[in-house]
Amino acid sequence: MRRLTLSLLVAWPFAVCADAPTLDPETGLATWQTETGGVQVRLTQIGPDQARAFYQARGFSAQAAERYAAECVFMTVVRNVGDTPVEHRLADWRYLHQGKRLPIRSKTEWAQIWKQLRVNEAARIAFDWAQFPATQTFAPGDWNQGMTTYRVGRGERFELQFVWRKDGKTFSGTLQEVQCAADAS
Amino acid sequence: MPLTLRNPLAAGLVGLSLMLPAGPATAADLPPLSHSLTTQPAKPAPALKLKDTDGTLHDFAQLKGKVVLVNFWATWCPPCRREMPSMQRLKDTLAGEAFEVLAVDVGEDADTIQAFTSQLDTQLTFPILLDTRGRTMREWKVAGLPTTYLVDKQGRIVASAVGGREFDHPELVAAIRAVLKD
Repeated sequence: MRRLTLSLLVAWPFAVCADAPTLDPETGLATWQTETGGVQVRLTQIGPDQARAFYQARGFSAQAAERYAAECVFMTVVRNVGDTPVEHRLADWRYLHQGKRLPIRSKTEWAQIWKQLRVNEAARIAFDWAQFPATQTFAPGDWNQGMTTYRVGRGERFELQFVWRKDGKTFSGTLQEVQCAADAS
Repeated sequence: MPLTLRNPLAAGLVGLSLMLPAGPATAADLPPLSHSLTTQPAKPAPALKLKDTDGTLHDFAQLKGKVVLVNFWATWCPPCRREMPSMQRLKDTLAGEAFEVLAVDVGEDADTIQAFTSQLDTQLTFPILLDTRGRTMREWKVAGLPTTYLVDKQGRIVASAVGGREFDHPELVAAIRAVLKD
């Protein structure tokens, strides 16, 4: 019993800090990471200045880059750390913000916006590949990264519910208290 | 093994384009590269006929009889950049064997690619092909960058890797050598 109590005491700080962010000392940008059921998910803040600079360097007009940077952007990494293949579908993911449960804006939705803003083809190709894939199968050891966007105000927090399928079953996990980067980031 | 750059200014620009923390290792540092290859039932590789950064046309069909590592990437893709020197080390490791590396860049021009490769400590000697409109990637059913396929001597895809890899890791080299022996 005493050993169990000691084990719990040792494990407790890690349990309560599961979604605590790590901060980059140079940029101040935060990363949230969690691992559950053989899947690891990591979100790193991308500041609006970085988002603008990235897309303007790839052919976006200032107006189009501003439209993207107006949303809350995260570098998103999904990794299969288990021993069986995992199927991912971004359309299944949801985020909770101010009492609403919202889907992540798809590349198809963004494509409509870029059409209206007359973004050129080369820039749209770069955009497509820079976003996190809509669907993908991750074999053990596979991983990928790309951007995801959230309609959340600067500095505001949300909870991400990520979903995956394995062995024909659906699983989910959460990243809590994820915070949108501030304007100065 | 970290990607190293000759020029501090260039390193800063790369840090910006990676949009990820640069500098000393922290908990928020770059996600680690893997070293696995996933074998799959052999299936014929799609056609691949593209020009390289020097304008020379490469036809994948002419590489039959060799094992080929086909890597789809872009300079703005952080794990793509990180794994690139390890592909060169793999090529060097397997020099003299029936093995080739092809890197297929999506949507960028030769100047952009050369601006990146010139910053590397490692000189890349494998062809970098230009898939300017992303058509070849769609034919190869690439869902995200980087994605890498291993093609056997009969021109069949026999393994794949999604996400960044340390290509000269002993386990990965051994897996490729096994295909070379087939």
